[in-house]
Amino acid sequence: MAAPLRVDYAFDAEDLESSAKIVKFAIVKKHQEQDAAQEHELASFEETMLPHMDAAHNLAKWLLRNEQDAQDVVQEAYLRAFKSFGGFRGSNGRAWLLTIVRNTSYTLLKKNRTVDLTTTFDEEIHTAGHESVSPATILEHCENAELIKEAMDELPAEFREVLALRHQEGLSYKEIADIAQIPPGTVMSRLARARGKLREYLAVRIGKEK
Amino acid sequence: MNCEEATKLMDGYLDGELDPITSQTIEQHLRECPNCDQAYKTHGSLIHAIGNATPYYRAPAELRERIQSSLREEIAERPMRDVGRDAQPLFPRKQPELRTILSGASWNWLALAATILLAAVIGWNLLPRLQRPGADQFLATQLIASHVRSLMANHLTDVASSDQHTVKPWLDAKLDFAPPVVDLTGEGFPLVGGRLDYLDNRTVAALVYQRRKHFINLFVWPGEAGATRPTMAMSHQGYQLLHWVNSDFNYWAVSDVNANDLQTFKQQFELQTSHR
Repeated sequence: MAAPLRVDYAFDAEDLESSAKIVKFAIVKKHQEQDAAQEHELASFEETMLPHMDAAHNLAKWLLRNEQDAQDVVQEAYLRAFKSFGGFRGSNGRAWLLTIVRNTSYTLLKKNRTVDLTTTFDEEIHTAGHESVSPATILEHCENAELIKEAMDELPAEFREVLALRHQEGLSYKEIADIAQIPPGTVMSRLARARGKLREYLAVRIGKEK
Repeated sequence: MNCEEATKLMDGYLDGELDPITSQTIEQHLRECPNCDQAYKTHGSLIHAIGNATPYYRAPAELRERIQSSLREEIAERPMRDVGRDAQPLFPRKQPELRTILSGASWNWLALAATILLAAVIGWNLLPRLQRPGADQFLATQLIASHVRSLMANHLTDVASSDQHTVKPWLDAKLDFAPPVVDLTGEGFPLVGGRLDYLDNRTVAALVYQRRKHFINLFVWPGEAGATRPTMAMSHQGYQLLHWVNSDFNYWAVSDVNANDLQTFKQQFELQTSHR
């Protein structure tokens, strides 16, 4: 029995080795195809999504009020978007990306608990007597970007969000509703409240300067 | 409309988000009520001024680089290499511990196992290729789906006009390229209108022409510079497709007209576009 077994061994081992080579070749080939497919997916993703990086960064910066956090969130949002890019069939890449940026920002805001997300009603500001400042005076000061920035930063996140989306991205109420995940009917009233509040805060600041 | 309602709708009106009838009612009220009129004007200029002065935070260049490299890392880390790991036991020489386990087993069994595995790998590698249509076939399926949908969903055109001077500017404004638009009424293919469509991961122009009772969708998008391909005719699911490329654009015509009509259409389209 010993002799035939050795013959078998020699024959099969050789056979095994050539099988292994073919399998190895098949695997390498498969990898190359997968790599090419991934490259293609990445190129298509970048073409669709990279143009919206300014919009993404702007929204994140307004929401987080911190450059480092904003950059981290935008990077995280791009990774998330890429992972679910296969499911993206729409034509509005900007709104889709901004939704992800918005959600990622809120997750971070909640984690840090640095701000009250919905309302900050500052008694000190409110009692400062802004009524004496006329709309015309506010209008005169509106060219002061620094003033506007400071007043905006005092608003709650849900107000900063709608103001940035409307004033800077020029999005429609429908798009804003989708991104901020609120009913379309709420967009108008939220914008109205945000603008009213901003006007109030501006008046307070201008009143203090005088 | 009273002042309270007018105040409530102020932001919607100034943002141009109200329906025309409500807008007209507001305008009517503003003509009659100087108080509201003044409030609207003030609020309007404030919105405008705030919009202009709010700083816009553009993404810094290093963020772009960071994101692009993190996307590449993401691709590299994807768990595709598992295939390689599974196949490792096939190389027993590099795995001494495996040899000791296998030394008791019959080599015939091992050879059989290897053969089955080999067959499985080859089959898994080849089968999808047999089933997967070529890139053109795949695009053809998408094109036909688009064509059928455009006829079915009452969404043949976004801009319905037989006037090329209406259709072209409309498309130019919506796209990042300017597709050639010609009316071929004189040639028996009147222009019906234009539409935006989404194909092959990009927005494309769809020009709609009519041939008797049939419609032709002509999909146009920019081609690669200097790419040349011979004209290709295809028949798929009972539809005729004709594909050609010129210096600037990719064209795909899809219709249920016969192949000759579609060829004529192509010739006339090329003739008319080359005249301008």
